[in-house]
Amino acid sequence: MESGTNSIWRRTAALALLIYTSAAIAQLPGPPPGAQGPAADGGPPPGGLLPGGPNGPPGAAGSPGDGGDGRNPFAPPPLSPDAPQPSADPRDFDGTWYHDAALQFQITTDLFGSKLPFTDAGRKVEQRRVKSLKTGTPFINASARCFPPGQPWQMDLNMPFQIFQSKNRLDLAFEEYHGLVQIVLDPAKALPAAYMGSSVAHWDGNTLVVETTSFKDGLWLDVDGTPASKNAKLTMRIRKVKSDHWFLEVEFTLDDPTYYTRAWSWMRDYSWRPDMTLFHEYNCELQTGAKDGVDPSLVPEPQD
Amino acid sequence: MKIGRRARSLSSIGGGLCLTMAAALLSARALAADPVNLEGTWKLSAPQPAFKPEGGSIPFTAFGRKRYAQNKRNLASGAYEEYDYATARCASPGVPRLMLTPLRFRIWQRPGWIAFQFEWNRLLRQVALGSLTQPQVNLTSGPGNSEDDALVGRAIPISKGSWERDTLVVDTEGFRDNTLLDNLVPHGYDLKTTERIRLKDANTLEDHISIEDPKYFTRPWQTVVNYQRQPDDPFPENVCLDTRTADGAAAVKP
Repeated sequence: MESGTNSIWRRTAALALLIYTSAAIAQLPGPPPGAQGPAADGGPPPGGLLPGGPNGPPGAAGSPGDGGDGRNPFAPPPLSPDAPQPSADPRDFDGTWYHDAALQFQITTDLFGSKLPFTDAGRKVEQRRVKSLKTGTPFINASARCFPPGQPWQMDLNMPFQIFQSKNRLDLAFEEYHGLVQIVLDPAKALPAAYMGSSVAHWDGNTLVVETTSFKDGLWLDVDGTPASKNAKLTMRIRKVKSDHWFLEVEFTLDDPTYYTRAWSWMRDYSWRPDMTLFHEYNCELQTGAKDGVDPSLVPEPQD
Repeated sequence: MKIGRRARSLSSIGGGLCLTMAAALLSARALAADPVNLEGTWKLSAPQPAFKPEGGSIPFTAFGRKRYAQNKRNLASGAYEEYDYATARCASPGVPRLMLTPLRFRIWQRPGWIAFQFEWNRLLRQVALGSLTQPQVNLTSGPGNSEDDALVGRAIPISKGSWERDTLVVDTEGFRDNTLLDNLVPHGYDLKTTERIRLKDANTLEDHISIEDPKYFTRPWQTVVNYQRQPDDPFPENVCLDTRTADGAAAVKP
């Protein structure tokens, strides 16, 4: 019988391999013009594998899929000492960042160890999604369709992102889903409703406080489908920290009266990785944009 | 951020700097090693779906001409999937076609590399300067693999850039073969492009593109595209899959 840790590691490995494989499939030359559909590419659509792929045990605690040190099994080796360093300015986040901790399939407790404060409606959605995984009929979500999946999902996957910081904005450009989050500092420049919401930030000392509202759709906060409604307000408190390496510490707070009885928070760290500046290509619409391009093993989620 | 504070201070003293001056001040961060500041938001000076070849015509090989004629027939009949494989799916149209986007793009200059952030479907193009390379990772160390990129090509390969005085020279190869050069002109895996990008004046960017693919063209051919500087505003979220019409075509082509 395999150990719990080993089992978790294997699940994480499988998930990352699925992501890898699907990304690689997206790179294949594909059929000549005129050929039909994504099946000719020889594989399932990217993203579609995520909700249907291996997951943390439904209902179980968050699943650190690591080998014991808290890092994901695919995290690159630590930066070499002679690598470029970020600006010493604590308010300058410009550069390449990477979530190198183990992927947590399901957030089950908040920052302080309390269970998530679901409303009845929130628990219903969460239980429905977990059940769909158990029964082998997982739901179509944004990732499966290659749509912008919301900040928590986007920033959890173990792929790098850029921050381009300028006087007026911080633009976050992600490798996966060619994602883009534009955070404006002037509320007058706030963008209209979007899948990634509309983000406005201000400085609290050296912490950037990013408030995001106006989501076009509800979100999956994690792979197992912990929900946020489109009425949610997501706050990210971001600061740049140096320990034995530079990283961004982000405290996420979700205020969503539709699905939770109170606001609750969780944390993520993103390491400084200038060696991951140049992205691999993530061209998921090549599959999901085809007719019947969404993984046929996925089913539409019932709407409340 | 020092640069930002200085710029704000100047702006308040001067009662508002012109767009170009402000852009030049704000992007000083990246420019220590770069001779010219190309940063800013840019948009095609006049919409054009196709490249206009210098000399008036594209020097097709017989094979290239046949494929081009096929594409024109499919366009006329609305059979987008038949010739515009990637874009019909909202997948990346690739470069150099993205340089004809009717929407905006933004240039960021950073130490060792330059980014083109496109409004259309949020696509990012990266140009490596000097020795910056993609991470060499493999199956045991992470998703993505530069060997895959080399094996099957990319719609937007990582380009290699260098400066020749005031001009950014961008060499690109390692393409997939299921994108188009523009809205109709085909190419193969052996496509190579060389772009010479420079400021014609403070508010006009020029991209002189040389295109080479011996299977499709009898010789390299050239074209020039111009862009006008735009205000520094965020891009509304652009999701191509949301814009497709009933016939499957994207409402706004790249």
